Amino acid sequence: MKPKETLLSLLTGLIMILSASGQEVSDTLRLKEIEVKANFPVDHMGFKRVRLDSTILMPHIDANLSTILSQYSTIFIKSYGNNNLATPSFRGTTAHHTQVEWNGININSPMLGQTDLSQVPVSQFDGIEILYGAASIARSSGAFGGIVNLTTKPDWNNRLNVTLAQTFASFNNYSTNLNAVVGNTNIQSHTKVNFNKGKNDFRFYNDYTRSVMNQINSSYLKYGFSEDLFAKINKRHLISAKIWYSHNDTDIPPVTTNINPDHKEKQRDRSLRSLIEYKYVARKFNISMRSALVDQYMNYVNDSLEANHQYYSFINRFRFQYTGFSKVTVKPGLDLTYDWVNSDAYDGQKRRYILGGFAEIIYVPNPKLTFSFLAREDLIDGQFMPFIPAIGVKYKPFRKTNISFSGNIARNYRYPTLNDLYWDLFGNPDLLPEISYIAEAGIAWNLLNANRTLFIEAEITGYYSFIEDMIMWLPSSGSGAIWKPMNITEVLARGIETGINGSLLVRDATIQLNATYNFCKSTYEKTKSAGDASLGKQLIYIPVHSVNATLRASLKDFYFSYTVNYVSKRYTGTDNQSFMPGYNVSNIFFGKNFQLINFVLSLQLEINNLFDLDYQSIANRPMPGRNFAITIRGTITSKSDQ
Amino acid sequence: MQQHHRRYIFRNGFSNLIHFSLYLIVALLLFSCAKDHPIREETDPPPNGNSSSYSDGFFIINEGNFNWGNSSVTFISELDGSVQQEVFQQANNSRLGDVAQSMKILNDRGYIVVNNSSTVEVVDLKTFISIKSIEGFNSPRYIEFIDSNKAYVTNLYGDISVVDLNSLTITKTIKTPEWTEGMLKYQHYMLVTCIGSFNEPSSKRKAKLLIIDSREDRIIDSIQTGKEPLGIVIDKKLKLWVLCSGGWDGFEPPALFRINPDLREIEKAFTFTGATETPSRLSINPTGDTLYFLKNGIYQMSVSDTGIPASPFIPASGKLFYGLAIHPVDGTIFATDAIDYVQNGVAFQFSSSVGTQLDTWTTGRIPGSFCFGDIQHSKNLD
Repeated sequence: MKPKETLLSLLTGLIMILSASGQEVSDTLRLKEIEVKANFPVDHMGFKRVRLDSTILMPHIDANLSTILSQYSTIFIKSYGNNNLATPSFRGTTAHHTQVEWNGININSPMLGQTDLSQVPVSQFDGIEILYGAASIARSSGAFGGIVNLTTKPDWNNRLNVTLAQTFASFNNYSTNLNAVVGNTNIQSHTKVNFNKGKNDFRFYNDYTRSVMNQINSSYLKYGFSEDLFAKINKRHLISAKIWYSHNDTDIPPVTTNINPDHKEKQRDRSLRSLIEYKYVARKFNISMRSALVDQYMNYVNDSLEANHQYYSFINRFRFQYTGFSKVTVKPGLDLTYDWVNSDAYDGQKRRYILGGFAEIIYVPNPKLTFSFLAREDLIDGQFMPFIPAIGVKYKPFRKTNISFSGNIARNYRYPTLNDLYWDLFGNPDLLPEISYIAEAGIAWNLLNANRTLFIEAEITGYYSFIEDMIMWLPSSGSGAIWKPMNITEVLARGIETGINGSLLVRDATIQLNATYNFCKSTYEKTKSAGDASLGKQLIYIPVHSVNATLRASLKDFYFSYTVNYVSKRYTGTDNQSFMPGYNVSNIFFGKNFQLINFVLSLQLEINNLFDLDYQSIANRPMPGRNFAITIRGTITSKSDQ
Repeated sequence: MQQHHRRYIFRNGFSNLIHFSLYLIVALLLFSCAKDHPIREETDPPPNGNSSSYSDGFFIINEGNFNWGNSSVTFISELDGSVQQEVFQQANNSRLGDVAQSMKILNDRGYIVVNNSSTVEVVDLKTFISIKSIEGFNSPRYIEFIDSNKAYVTNLYGDISVVDLNSLTITKTIKTPEWTEGMLKYQHYMLVTCIGSFNEPSSKRKAKLLIIDSREDRIIDSIQTGKEPLGIVIDKKLKLWVLCSGGWDGFEPPALFRINPDLREIEKAFTFTGATETPSRLSINPTGDTLYFLKNGIYQMSVSDTGIPASPFIPASGKLFYGLAIHPVDGTIFATDAIDYVQNGVAFQFSSSVGTQLDTWTTGRIPGSFCFGDIQHSKNLD
């Protein structure tokens, strides 16, 4: 056993002794009493969902989504550098298999089929909902790994809540965030503004030039604005309208072997997303409708070329729920998406429509047992897609002990991206959808003591999924000049997710521990050509082991947090003969709140990469050493008197 | 034990809360104690050390993935057949760079053209230790020696670099219509294939063979060819053969031209008809009478043939051939397969008489070209 593994098992062992084992980072600590939130929503029995709420997000108001997911979720983030391109790998799948949503609306580019997580600022949403594996089927097809949904929700008791935060970070990086929430019991308005600007010229040791240097061409300017309006009429009608504009100018730094002071590579993204939602709640049924328009422009420039891409997506979702039967809930739905793309990389404009029919039946034969049956059928450009069935079951055998067993089995498919189909000369219009078969089973347990001062939650889930006809870009001729996407490989992804979540309250102090351990074996199951050594080997850049652990403590007005993230080696070749060694990075932050009636002023210091580890997440893409951020945050709050 | 522990915390309240948290902090710190050495890409198994000499063997230049910085050089000993990977990294404890395109040898020095790092690494062939990394190229492709003092380097953008082999610096540039590729020294001329502007579609590119007077470093003439003239060789009758791909976008059918270098005119044009794989990697045997190229399989064609052979000499049989070279002494055929381009490749040696496989070796990532020493250059030169 290597020292790293020894430490790993030591930690795991310690955690077991201290509490048990499990998962979930959702609950919040309130004064003198722990507020407990349910793990799994009632309407998705047997399918795993996890929430990260504002208590997790607020101290990271200056960060982007990649920071949150890499520190607090089991999703592995491939990061190309500080504040640079970051893509997710969820349950051993590729970035195409994680769908990022904003209030239930897919914001993955229909061209690329993925989202750059570094372009999503934490301050623009209140919570994150993570849907694992087949839980995504209720929303859409293709998210084999799962869905990361960014949510903004109204608090009807709120009257006024205005937060202004200013962060000064290392490498001339700055972040300003404003979050203003006003309203009454019938109407609420959220206004959010983020402004992030950085030179981001961190120092690193370059093995190629064999010198310590400052990162070049690494600056960014990211800002955004959003307005959400929520209105409630007669407690039966809920209407909301949301709009979010974001502007990202990112310089793309070179790999360490291409250091050239004149290096120029830049990406500009502008996106405007708007959404209208309507919900009607009756005694025996409810209706929800949402309609969104996404307008996304991207411009890429380097030393020798420039390309522009523009797309519009019109996304509509309709759901009906009938609860009039005693043991059965019926939820049919209809989805309609229209994508329109005008890209320099395509031969002419490309359009695509997706019409999806969805139905879910929840059957509760007795209070201990719940069954959920899902079915989805999509029609893409007049073509019927593979049928998606899913069955979930949840069993909660005891009345007093909060332990539940759940499992599901499903089939899913992913349609090729528009780039896969239409990229000029390289695209392959004959591609078939990828197919995935997934099964998972889990146990969740939680305990809240009588005086509500201790809450422990534990979870373990195992999953097994098989992807066939997986799309890969490969050279279509020996000259290597033309690459084409092909339905060429098969992948078997299986793993175990475990975690604990413990909260302890003693007088003026609270302690919270969240830890997850993730085992993920994701292997190639089909050779692509003669001599292919990838059979049975781990997919590149997906760690087999990863651990996230966070310890948070607060005493009166002081708060402290320590996070450590470990990832085991990630292979850089499909033959698994080259790899990036495993590493762990620690981050801490601590601060003090100064309270003046309705006004709270917080002063916070954050130290990232505490032990100054010289590391790369992607080969030859440097990451910063120890770095600091100071945040001054002021919040004015006023609540209704109820 | 668990039960006891929990009760203990509650009973003793605050002071034990401190202990509890300290316990956790210590556990986390213990776990996270930083690794001493930097986290960088490694290979498994690690390279097996360095050779005492690089004279009796040949090199395979592994391009590596574009923007991954993982190019490398593999050495294969012709004495004992042993293979050494990552020769440059081993000798210099530093990466070779991004996309190593080609390598040539002159007077005990190796010149490795590293395209996307825009350098030419000059190494001492006895030790493979870097003598100098010449910088300032515009995406360099190939190097060719005029004499022991001067070399030309073709580039993707704008010009041909003239390198002084004594000071190892770029002394001047010869302005060209963008992308220049293959070179061949003929009398006091350097013949250079020129593809045209890198970023333009084939329809706009003006493909030609440039004739440069190497005494004056000046383009004196040019011959129009088919689109994308990527390969150039000279046969025993001193006729040039230029292989044109027809364009990456399939603008026109690929073609093989025979050119008279003295009259500077095309004598013959063989067009590849039908929807075929694009031919690439034109090579010639040491006796100058047989041409080779890749077109899915490996094709063999006599310089006196009246047409392009209908079938390959060595069929691909599931391989995806990427590189091709002919041994400058014994004329055996060397080819590579990059497999999926994200794993170590393979190199093969085939007999030139019957095409049977003689040997095979594992290489680095995306093996693109071979370097057999300076025998190759002295041949066919006046």
